[in-house]
Amino acid sequence: MNRPPPSWLHPGVRLIEAERSVGWAEIAAQADTFEAAFRAAGARVVLPPRGVPALVAALVAAERAGVELHLSRRTSAETDAKPHEPGFAVLLETSGTTGAPKLIRHDFQRLRGRLRGTADPGARWLLAYEPAAFAGLQVILTALASGATLVSAPGAGAGELARLAGRHAVTHISATPSFWRAFLLALDGAAPPLAAVTLGGEVADQPLLDRLAEGFPNAKLRHIYAATETGALFAVGDGMAGFPAAWLDGGIDGVGLRLSDGVLEVNSPRAMLDHGDVWLSTGDVVEVRGDRALFVGRLDGRINVGGVKVSPEVVEQVLLDVPGVQDALVQAAANPVTGHIVTALVVPAPGAEEAALRAAIRTAVADLPPAARPRLVTMTGNIALGAAGKKTRKGTA
Amino acid sequence: MTESMFALIAEELARIAADKGETLPALGPDTRFLGGELPIDSLDLATLLVVLEQRTGQDPFRAGFVQFNTVGELAALYRPDMPTGSA
Repeated sequence: MNRPPPSWLHPGVRLIEAERSVGWAEIAAQADTFEAAFRAAGARVVLPPRGVPALVAALVAAERAGVELHLSRRTSAETDAKPHEPGFAVLLETSGTTGAPKLIRHDFQRLRGRLRGTADPGARWLLAYEPAAFAGLQVILTALASGATLVSAPGAGAGELARLAGRHAVTHISATPSFWRAFLLALDGAAPPLAAVTLGGEVADQPLLDRLAEGFPNAKLRHIYAATETGALFAVGDGMAGFPAAWLDGGIDGVGLRLSDGVLEVNSPRAMLDHGDVWLSTGDVVEVRGDRALFVGRLDGRINVGGVKVSPEVVEQVLLDVPGVQDALVQAAANPVTGHIVTALVVPAPGAEEAALRAAIRTAVADLPPAARPRLVTMTGNIALGAAGKKTRKGTA
Repeated sequence: MTESMFALIAEELARIAADKGETLPALGPDTRFLGGELPIDSLDLATLLVVLEQRTGQDPFRAGFVQFNTVGELAALYRPDMPTGSA
């Protein structure tokens, strides 16, 4: 049996993973197997991380079977037994430490309606995001729709991905600024023939944009601004950090922008919440310098570690739960690779032995995502309080 | 490149690797940080740069990202005359 691919999957697509290249024939065979299992399983099914070809086959099968597909990012994941709504949809887990991972239901047509990528079937994409993350799925769907080639190696670091980009002559990469910095550090002479360099998920700084423009002079360089509630809002393509301050008056691409006490608010027809003419606060603090609006930090103090948003309060709570820790303060330390890392000041309880305490802390934070684990823990006698009697957190801007 | 800076990088990188239960191969000036020779990822490299700033009091990246690939290239970004004690 040779059923045609769905309308959102161009039959010319090639998926290259672990030195295997698969096309529609292989995807279709796996989709048939999944479809039978999904129909038997009922209204909601969960797919653990099994690579991009399996993920694509599962999407095809879930649409045919009319089930909700939970794309898990953990191997041991379980999913809620009961569906919220009948029919095909994609469920994605949120990342970061801003609370327990939440499962967000995405209408598939709506996900596809947000694609901004190229329709060039000659494009060779590198997947630099997790496949089951929102940004990763956008890259996958873009490649599928255009019949392009997609190179992926889930779990691989920037060094391995840089080698793959060179070997497979990748032309399109969408990634966080932290990935791009690590990618530049890992490149060994032969740079891939990039035609499109896209940045998102973190603030893109001018030195990095300059380095990318210099390293890939023929590439279209864009940085994307997105907010959690709205998804991608606008792209900046002039190679400059921030965005033109004039957009705060006229908006851009149908999106209204304004500042309220220095915090960026947006009004978007593409907002996930159908609130009509409502301004949403993004929580991003913006400063206007000359004719440019620049991002200078988060209102809520969240730390951006390589594109992963970390709540210092959540990490502090993990530390405070360790026996032998009397007090803890979690802070950001700036660096040119991941933007920030998480560091901690810890006040040991009387009688606590340092080596044992450090080991206990290491065990406790191992449950956090790698980006959220304090990379440097400094023992101290006391933690200074600010004028308001609160801990003074430094370095989150 | 300065000998003392190279030694400091080797010492701190070994500590970061040991925290993960890894041991480093011998480092040379041409050893690449993220080229696959070393058992470190970008978070480890980020940690190294923060520690180097604490120990030298210097931040060669104050103005933003500076390209470097090897241990020798990183060592050369720091001024040689600085003490390597607490800053």
